[in-house]
Amino acid sequence: MRDVLYLAWRYLVFHRLKTGILVTSIMLIVYLPTGLNAVIEQSAEHLTARAEQTPLLVGAKGSPLELALNSLYFSTDHPELIGYAEAISVMDSGLANAIPLYVRFRSRSHPIVGTSLDYFGFRDLNFASGRPMAVLGECVLGAAVAESLGVQPGDSVISSTDTVFDLAGVYPLKMKVAGVLERAFTPDDDAIFVDVKTAWVIEGLGHGHQDLARPEAAARVLSRSEEIIVANASVVQFNEITEENLDSFHFHGDLASYPLTAVLAVPRDDKSGVILRGRYTNDNARSQIVRPLLVIEELLDTVLTIQQFILAAVIIVGLATVATAALVFMLSLKLRRREIDTMHKIGGSRLRVASMLLAEVVIVIVLSSSLAAVLTLVTWRFGPGVIESFVLT
Amino acid sequence: MIEIEDLRFSYDEGDFFLEIPKLKVAHGETVAIVGPSGSGKTTLLNLIAGTAVPQSGQVTTNGYEISGLHDAARRDFRIANIGLVFQEFELLEYLNVLDNILLPYRINRTLHLGTAVRERAEALAKRVGISDKLTRFVNQLSQGEKQRVAVIRALVMQPPLLLADEPTGNLDPLNKNRVLDILLQYAEQNGATVITVTHDYDILSRFRRVIDFKDFYTHGAEQRPENIAGPM
Repeated sequence: MRDVLYLAWRYLVFHRLKTGILVTSIMLIVYLPTGLNAVIEQSAEHLTARAEQTPLLVGAKGSPLELALNSLYFSTDHPELIGYAEAISVMDSGLANAIPLYVRFRSRSHPIVGTSLDYFGFRDLNFASGRPMAVLGECVLGAAVAESLGVQPGDSVISSTDTVFDLAGVYPLKMKVAGVLERAFTPDDDAIFVDVKTAWVIEGLGHGHQDLARPEAAARVLSRSEEIIVANASVVQFNEITEENLDSFHFHGDLASYPLTAVLAVPRDDKSGVILRGRYTNDNARSQIVRPLLVIEELLDTVLTIQQFILAAVIIVGLATVATAALVFMLSLKLRRREIDTMHKIGGSRLRVASMLLAEVVIVIVLSSSLAAVLTLVTWRFGPGVIESFVLT
Repeated sequence: MIEIEDLRFSYDEGDFFLEIPKLKVAHGETVAIVGPSGSGKTTLLNLIAGTAVPQSGQVTTNGYEISGLHDAARRDFRIANIGLVFQEFELLEYLNVLDNILLPYRINRTLHLGTAVRERAEALAKRVGISDKLTRFVNQLSQGEKQRVAVIRALVMQPPLLLADEPTGNLDPLNKNRVLDILLQYAEQNGATVITVTHDYDILSRFRRVIDFKDFYTHGAEQRPENIAGPM
């Protein structure tokens, strides 16, 4: 048997291009359905687990999927904005605890999540080091962010500018790291958490600048009345919040009108949840309330339907590949007629020669299946992450 | 000793047939068979080797009537008694020289590929001047080298009977003599019988006996021979 395998192996190695094409074709046919299945199963598990832990989301009317993906996975697609008043309204109803979410900005590729301290308790997030953010301009890092940026409490991270060439756009804010979270194996690992007010500062809705009442700022003042001081553009704006300049930061206008991407509503009980959902059934309402689990299940239904179509296509292509491989094998037998005759003449039995040819087929199948198995394992391990990063960014 | 009596053979298709009333080759004889193309020279080698079976008559080698044996027994007999050298070498392109020489041991379950066999193969390769090419593939060899490899493949099993089908047909004079030297020296040293089919009349003098096949063959019913000539 060893000799038969040796001869078969030598044949396959010598015709390595043909063997490679054959192995790759069969591997893909085996891998595509199993890999696809692995990705979808794992992704569904990830998506559903997060959605299951999030009872209700309040957001602007529009795509429920966009709202859920942005609020649960901090995707880059921003839903329409709602006002902070919506969070106040949910809280005042007494039906649910309201956790504001403002997920719009990024630091490099990491989302900056403007929220409240309640978020950490709700997601059961623990601190690996440091403490929660306590003052404006502080942030808490997810474990993966801290690891990839190589920062720890006491260091700083800078928010990314929205648009480089837009002078009226978002300017970077240097934020002090107050704490780092333990790894949770959720999108929280990749996020930078700040108080929602810090997110508004990043947007420019709140700001700090040099005191115009001080004498050294006199040259920058254009006009001064009892209530309003008008200065020119040379007034120094702070892009870092420090103990020294903290008091100079302020917000103009009504905070209730400040933007949020969503409000995470945690009902006190099932009944409260039903009542709260009832309040958003009015077609004229400017906001909506969604159950993330239903939204994600709807998404998965669509994905599963697509999967069925892909599987059907793969099966058809697979049959065609197997037929082609069989044809190649038969043609190869014809081309190898002289070689087979020679083997018979010098004493090889029909069974022995057939075993050698069969061994070639078996080696190709074993190689293809092994490679497909390895690829499936790799897909099982990394696929959902890759797919999620494609879907969510 | 090879004895052929009242042999008649024809292929399934076509009108070719071969008739040999009587032919004897003694043990240790070196025989060259000449004759026109299509006269049945290669067919005769196949009948002696047992890779073809006559419709009637007997082919007896070393006391075994090979034509009466079933397929597996003929194969076993061939493994034990006959070395075959083909005109087109019939080497496998995907094996290196050493693996080609050892091929009979790899495709026969009854043969054991041990150290002694490997050493014998290497010694034969050294003797014919290709010991430095054992790891090369067939497509890296010259025609003469290929034929030497084919001859060693036949000799490595130390058969008492060597059947060679135009072993010098594709070779230049130098390589022609080299291959003949290997075959005939093997026969002389081991007392083996060598039967060679050839078109090359220049090499006939090196064989103890020459059989001219034009006296033997029949090709179509109208050419049925009246008499059999040549040495018996």
